[in-house]
This record gives sequence, structure tokens and C-alpha cells, in this order.
Amino acid sequence: MSTSLGELRLVQPSTVKEAVAARFEHPGSRFIAGGTDLIVNMRRGIIRSDLLVDLSGIDELTEITTDGLDVTIGAGVTLAALAHNSEIAGRYRALAQAAEAIAAPGHRVIGTVGGNLCLDTRCIYYNQSEWWRSAHAYCLKNRGDVCHVAPQGKRCHAAFAGDLAPALLVLGAEIDIASAQGVRRIPLSELYVEDGKAHLALADGELLVALHLPLNPPPSGYAKVRLRGAIDFPLAGVAVALAASGPNVNSLRIALTGTNSRPFLVAGTEPFAGRPIDEKLLHELDRLVQKQVQPMRTTIASANYRRIAAAALTRRLVKKLFAEGAA
Amino acid sequence: MIADPMIDSRISRPGVPLIDGVEKVTGRARYTVDLDHADALVGRILRSPVGHGEIIRLDVSKARALDGVVAVATGDDCPFTYGVLPVAMNEYPMARERVRYCGEPIAAVAAIDAETADRAISLIELELRRLPAYYTSQEARAPGATLLHDNKLGNLEREVHHEFGNWQDGFATADLVREEKFSCAEVNHAQIEPHACLADYDPITARLTVQSVSQVGYYLHLMLARCLEMDSSRIRVVKPFVGGGFGARVEVLNFEIITALLARAAAGKVLMQLSREETFLTHRARPQSDMTLRIGMRRDGKITACSCEVVQRGGAYAGYGIVTILYAGALLQGLYDIPAIKYDGYRVYTNLPPCGAMRGHGSVDTRHAFECLLDRMARDLGLDPFAVRRANLLHAPTRTLNDLMVNSYGLAECLDRVERASGWRDRIGKLPAGKGLGMACSHYVSGAAKPIHWTGEPHAIVNVRLDFDGGITALTGAADIGQGSSTMVAISVAETLGVALDRIRVIAADSAVTPKDNGAYSSRITFMVGNAAIDAARKLKAILVDAAARKLEARPDDIEVVGEVFRIDSGQQASLPFAEVVKAALVDRGAITVSGTFTCPPESQGGRHKGGAVGSTMGFSYAAQVVEVSIDDATGVVSVDKVWAALDCGHAINPLAVEGQIQGSVWMGMGQAMCEETRYLDGLPGHASFLEYRMPTAAESPPIEVQIVESHDPFGPFGAKEASEGALAGFPPALVNAIANAIDIDIDELPVTPDRIMDALIQRRRQARLTSTLKVAS
Repeated sequence: MSTSLGELRLVQPSTVKEAVAARFEHPGSRFIAGGTDLIVNMRRGIIRSDLLVDLSGIDELTEITTDGLDVTIGAGVTLAALAHNSEIAGRYRALAQAAEAIAAPGHRVIGTVGGNLCLDTRCIYYNQSEWWRSAHAYCLKNRGDVCHVAPQGKRCHAAFAGDLAPALLVLGAEIDIASAQGVRRIPLSELYVEDGKAHLALADGELLVALHLPLNPPPSGYAKVRLRGAIDFPLAGVAVALAASGPNVNSLRIALTGTNSRPFLVAGTEPFAGRPIDEKLLHELDRLVQKQVQPMRTTIASANYRRIAAAALTRRLVKKLFAEGAA
Repeated sequence: MIADPMIDSRISRPGVPLIDGVEKVTGRARYTVDLDHADALVGRILRSPVGHGEIIRLDVSKARALDGVVAVATGDDCPFTYGVLPVAMNEYPMARERVRYCGEPIAAVAAIDAETADRAISLIELELRRLPAYYTSQEARAPGATLLHDNKLGNLEREVHHEFGNWQDGFATADLVREEKFSCAEVNHAQIEPHACLADYDPITARLTVQSVSQVGYYLHLMLARCLEMDSSRIRVVKPFVGGGFGARVEVLNFEIITALLARAAAGKVLMQLSREETFLTHRARPQSDMTLRIGMRRDGKITACSCEVVQRGGAYAGYGIVTILYAGALLQGLYDIPAIKYDGYRVYTNLPPCGAMRGHGSVDTRHAFECLLDRMARDLGLDPFAVRRANLLHAPTRTLNDLMVNSYGLAECLDRVERASGWRDRIGKLPAGKGLGMACSHYVSGAAKPIHWTGEPHAIVNVRLDFDGGITALTGAADIGQGSSTMVAISVAETLGVALDRIRVIAADSAVTPKDNGAYSSRITFMVGNAAIDAARKLKAILVDAAARKLEARPDDIEVVGEVFRIDSGQQASLPFAEVVKAALVDRGAITVSGTFTCPPESQGGRHKGGAVGSTMGFSYAAQVVEVSIDDATGVVSVDKVWAALDCGHAINPLAVEGQIQGSVWMGMGQAMCEETRYLDGLPGHASFLEYRMPTAAESPPIEVQIVESHDPFGPFGAKEASEGALAGFPPALVNAIANAIDIDIDELPVTPDRIMDALIQRRRQARLTSTLKVAS
């Protein structure tokens, strides 16, 4: 029942180097940026830490820069700043639309790009109070050994529900990860693992510091379904990047969120290149998406609905982007 | 045909902002947790982890021994039940021997800080033996089910069987008889302020002061005296600012008594602040309901008979349940002229937090079923939805079959107004694909004419004071919970006296100062307290007129009061300013206090049949609304584009507040219709946060165009009736009817979430495929 946080220490570094060092020095500490995910989870007792490394004072994390090769977005850029940046809106519409669709204005003002990409996975058996979880029997993701969503299975099915990731996946983003050993760069898709309990391929103490986007990606868009027009996480979110040549598809990338333990690029879209966007293609896309999403009963809305909605959003978005490109 | 307006409907009075509005918007208003609790202990509650169980062992010794723990209380400390209805008090503040729902309080601690209190709770040793738990009405009613309460066979809290008129004949003479089943999810008040209570016990004087979020300070006072075995004269109950009620606090709640028990045990002050999750567990809202409704109708739309079965999943304890199941049947009547009615109601005990009263108490789910079925039958008969309602209007004054008084009736006007405003006639059936219009009507009581605690006293009392400063203070026990009742009292006194509104000060809901009031529920305050306020103001006015007459050496009949000036002969001869009149009035008697009362006469208190008092009222509000929707058939998302709502509140004492209340009702109905529902996972609330319990946000809230209809009730204060509940019940059916109009699909379940729409669309596609396959095959 309790919502008290208990004793907390806060370290406030001013550089990435200091932040990573502080985190290394204090095993069991956590990075905190906007805190819109972390603090809620700490109050519920699903994440415990007595020392937080506050990233909000690190200026280098809050920049958006262009160097002629790519656009770099700092992990500390707020969602509101991202949504309102005209260059982002012009080049990377899916990203701006996704940022604008996250939670509510109050969250977007403090929530950050890095926080949204590293969002914890969610489940109705996990995002509950300590009293609730202990009364129900703890789950695989937290102190228990059974996934209540799929008790026969061996893994946790909590779903990833960040909005930015699918947009960045179709735009071909790469990310920089800092640690005491230095900085490494990987494609964003390699950050995620299909396991609700360990969905981020980050070593202990590693920090996502920036992401890079190619300068001239194809036109893109993002759409999500949720029960309310604000606040709610996506039951399903879809990003599409579509380049057309004449009446035909040139390249097509689709990525999804909200349906699986990770955001992912839909596999098998390459054969659509060279084909016209017609009902047949849209129907095949629908089947493809329905086949690859794996929604489980992690939300109050039914899993089947999330599957159908993901496919429906995909069809609509592809059609819309194509129509805009043709216009 | 649109009838000529019979009622002067133009509201030219703008109304006034609420008198406590500035305090709220500037943040000066003190809610319970804002009160001075610098030296208060922190209270925490241990709650049951199981849905149904026997308490085998409860050991609080380690908690008691913990440094910083000042008091520990368990069910042993209070062997008294509490509740609203004297006949149905079956709940202890903390469980004794048995727990009946997940989250039921078992023990509580008061400690020097939150961390210590949390730690103490974790040190309490509890051993339970699980019993079979039932989370649906069906399971609880199954033969052989374990009884939650030994004296309640079949786990039925109450069965109601009412028959009025010859319904068999009614169905026999109908041209169309249709029966449908509807199901509405449990919903919650979701008031913004979580529950909180501050209790202060002085061991030297043996006095207890409790400040709480209550809508019913008087009932709280009674239950504190009962459960703590205290003389009620030693108790003071104060209501600070309250952040929303909607029925969440019309019952005395367990945490209020627990806080007082802890304060007495600690011989000091205890603040109990419940989390949002605990606030959801301390539930008392609208139960999940299953309705089977049958209506008989003539070809012209006239209803010949109706039968309705309602099953309510009531939760683990009685609470207001008997009233809810009675309301569900009683308020089938009072809206339309129905010649015969059969009602069967079943209130079921289940292992879930007990339900209670919520805005539109008892009437909403039944009204939903009724208005949906009316529309479907209109379609069957090729009639316009408005025409069907108009074919069944009442004519005031009249009495319904179940002996409810209908003294004023503005429904016809409400229908005309929303039909016109929405452009219904020009637009219905001509909207683009995926868009639709739907309508429905609703009504609600202006206070229960027979109070639950029958004492024979007046239904309402207001005291009005006047002293040397010329300030007029109205003292009322009525709880302003944001609905604007204190402003209503101020306006009623000011208008009656003819003085400036800012001369009036209202002091409300403090048992040491204000007269007893039954509380803020069943929309009783405007009608009852308003009338009492007018009565008190009239008495004060008579005193002032007498004083002015003496001073001016005239007869009281010759005194003319114009605003704050008392004069004779239109002021040609003499006039006195208000201050002079006050001086004159105080000369003989000093400070003045007058008492105004209001009583509902016996003939308004309902029929003689068992349960006949429920639904009885001096005046019903009436409402009609039109809802326009767009439906995305790819995702099942429904958007409400616009709502037109008209409500007959008799007379709008404060039009600004009335408009706000109507919008609030419509909006709350929209929540129930579209997205709000509680979901239990093995008896635990899966919904106990504002993320999972989905109230509509500003993003999807439509424009709501409000029309105020004034039918001038003969008994209401200035002709007024209630305005805060009547418009709620119309929204859900208007929405479902609009969806049917848009995509030709009838939805039988609330809320109409996108997944339910998609299920229905998929089912239709499947059937269409099946039909075409069969055609090909044949």
C-alpha cells in the first residue's frame, strides 16, 4: 500500500564520464532522467535502489546537432523538445509524431528520449503495489518464478510500450552507449531482446547517451491505439517508413511497439519492393503483421484486439504515406 | 410535431461563481491532508491478501513492540458493526474472524512516521484459512456455494419482486414485444481527492474531533459514537474542503472509524491518508449489473408493459445495497407513462469490495437497458426515437404506479430542445458512413422523501444569524463537496432577504456549530436545504420588517423592501438603510438567530409496498440528450463529436453551477459508457490507478451544449429541483444508440471499448461470410 520512497541519495554529475563513474562506484544505483517511469516503479516497490545518478545536469545529453552526415539527438532531450523541433518534424515525421503521442504534456516536459527508449516493460501483474503483488503471488519479472500471463512458459511476457523506438527503428537509428570502458555504437534494433524480464541488451552501468539518424530517410509516420486520447501507453503502436517510385513501393520498413516484449522491425517486407500498393499488398501486410506480433494478456484490453489493431494501423499508415507521396 | 414551448426557457440570469471558488483556484483551500497535522501520528492499515478466509491467528505483538509505534488496533478493539441502513449493518471497521474481500482491513497502526508505520504493518503476523471466493454473481448464486453471511441464503442480500398493473395483459395487447439482455461493468467514482481522515482525541477531556472527506458528517457522527461507545456529545465532526464525492463518501467508511480508534488508543492525533489503490478498494460505487428487459409496445410507440430483472454484483457487505437494488426497479417509473411493470431484483454478495451509491444511484444501468431497447423497438416499428419517447410522456401532476409524486415535468421541452439544437430531423439517417446520432432520456430524484434514518425531525434545518456587524451567517450541516451547495444556500438567503450576496457568509458541516443535516446524497440539498434556507430567511425578514415598522412608526404591511433599503410610500415619506434596520432589530433582543426547516409530507414518501420509500421524492429532474459519434471501423475507436443535453431542473438558482453540473453528469456518463471499468484479477483490483482506471481525458472530451429547462416545480425552492445527477444516465444509451445508427451494430455491454466494437465487427463479418457461403452452397 505504501507509496513512500524511503531514504534516497542523489548524485548529480555534470558530465557523462562522471555519471558513468558514479554508477560504477555504486553497484545497485540507478540512472534517473525524467523519472516518469522509474519513480512510479520505485514507489510500487518493483524497482529498489537507494542511490540515484541524476542525469538532468549533463548539458551534452540535451543537444540536437547535425554534422552533414547525420543528425545526433542527445538521450537527455525531452520528449516535448523533440516533438517541437522543426527539423525533426521535417525530416523524421514518425519520430515527431511518436514524441507528441507519448503520455500527456506534463510527462513530455520532463520525460526524455533515453528514458522512453529504456522504458521498463509493463504488465498488469507487474505494475501493481507491493501489497497487490504479494497478495497475488509474485511474478517471474519480480521476485517470483511464474509468469501469470503464461504460466506454462519459461519467460516473462511483459510488453514494451515506448513510442519512440518503432519510429527510430524504421528510420535506421544507431545509438551510442557509454560505460567506464568508453563509448560503443550499435544499431538501435540490437538494444532490444524478446524477454520481458531482460529486454535491454545493456551491461550493468552502461548508459545510452545519444542516437544518430541518417540525414535523408524516406517519408515516415507513426500511429498508436489506446483507450484514451492521452496518457495511455500504446496497446499497439506502428511506425512505417515508405519510399515509393511511381506507383510502386521502393522500400518499406515497419516497426511495432506495445505488442511484444521488445519493439521490433517487421521481417519480410523486402519482397514488397517493386510492387504497387493495392488491396492485395495491404492484405499480405496485414497477415504479415498479425503473424509476427505476439501480444499476451499483459493489458486489460484483450491480446487479440492488440493484434488486430496493430495490423489495421499498419495498413492505414502505409496507404496514407503512399497517398501523400503520390500527391 | 414539435410542440410549442410551454415553458419560458430563456435563461437570462448568468449565475454567480461558487463562493468558495477563489480559495480553491488560489490553493488556499484546505483539504483534509492540508490540515495542521504537524504533531499527528501516521496511520496505516493491514489489508486482507485473500478474497475469502478465516482468520486463524493475528499477532500484533511485534508491531506493538516496535520503537515509534504508538497504537495498534484490530477487530478485537471494535465489536460493533457500522453501516447506513439500520437493518443492514453487517460490517466491522476491521475484520473479526473472517475476511470477505481482498483489501478488507484487518489491523491498523499509528506511528511517529510513515516508514515506522509501514514497518509495523509488515511485522504483523497473520494466518488465514482460505474459503471459496466468488467474484461473479453467477458463482456466488450457484447451488452449494459457501455463504458469505450465514443468514443470507443463496448469497442474496436482498430479493425484490414488485408488480404494478396487469403486465400479462400489457404484453398480450402489445403489437411488438422484445426482450434483450444488457450488462454494465462496475465503475468507480474516481473522485480526485483520495480518502483521508484526521482524528484528534484529547484524553483529559475525553473528547474526539474527526475531520474527514465525508459527504455525511451526521452519519459519521452516529457511527463514531456507536463503534467507539462514546457519548455523541463528546464527538465533533468537521468536514474540510472535499475534492469530489459522487457517492464515494455517502457511507461511513472503515478508515474513518479506524482512524478514530487509533487516535483514542494513542491519546492523540492521527492522520490516515489512503493511497489511490486503497481509495479504489474502499469502493462503494456502481455495481456490475446484468439486466434482462422486456418491453411491450403498440404500433404507435406506446408502451403497454415492461418487465425487468436486475442482478447486481454487490460485493462483500450490505452498505447501501438494498437501496441500490430497490432504486433500480423504482426508477423504471417516473420518466414515462408505463401502465404495467414487473420488477425482479437480486443483490448478490460476492468476495469483492462492497459497492454502494454512485451518481444516479441505482437508476443508471437500468435506464441504459431501457433506452437502448426503446430505440431498437422504434427501429423495428419504423418510428423515430423522439416519437417513441413522445408517445409515452407523463402529465404532471400525477402519481406513478408505485406511488411516486410527479409534480413538474419538463421532459417534452427537453426533447424539443435537443432535437432542434442537434438538427436531428435534417441530419438523422443522412450522415456520412461511420457517423451516427443517438438520443436518450433520463431522470433523477431531488432527495429521498423518506430519509434512511427516520427520526421524525424535519428533513432539513438551516439557521441564520444576524448580529451588530450586519453580516448574515447561514449555518448549514449540508456538505459542500464541490457541487456548490454552500453557494446555493447563500443565494437562497440573499434572494429571499433581497440583500447583496456578499453580505452572506455560509458556515457548513461542523457539528459543533451547524445544525444536523443528513448529508450530500440523492441530490437532496438544493430541494430540502434550499427550502429550509428560504424559510429561515423569511423569518429573519419578518423580524427586520417589524423592526423597520417600529422605527418608522408604520405598520409592517406598509414596509416595502427594495434591496437593502426598507421604506414606506416608495421612499417618499421615509426610508431606512440596512444598518439602521439591523440596529433597530437588535435593540430588544440582541443577536438574532432564526431557524428554517423543510419537511417532505407523508404523501410524498412513496407507496405502502415493501421498499416503497425508495425512489420517493418531491420532484424529479428530467433530461434528454443527443450524442453524435464517429467510429473508426479499422480500430474500433469511437469518438464523440458533440453532445446536446437539456435538463429540467425546475428553476436554475445558479445557472452557472447548473450548467457545470449538467456537463459533469454527461461527462461522467461518457466515462462509464466508453472507457471506465473495474477489473479484478483473482479478486485483486487490476484497475486501482488512474492509468488503468480510464476516465476520459480532455483530449477526447467533446463539446457539450447545455440547455436549461425550467418547469417551475410547485414545491421546490424558487421552483428548483436537482441538477447534478439527472443527465448522467442518458449518455450511455444515447452513445450506444448512436453507434447503432452509425454502423448498424447493437452493443449490449458497457463500456463500449474499442476491443468490444472490434469483436462485434468481426462477428458480423464472420456471419456475413457464413451467409454468403450458404447462399453459394444452396
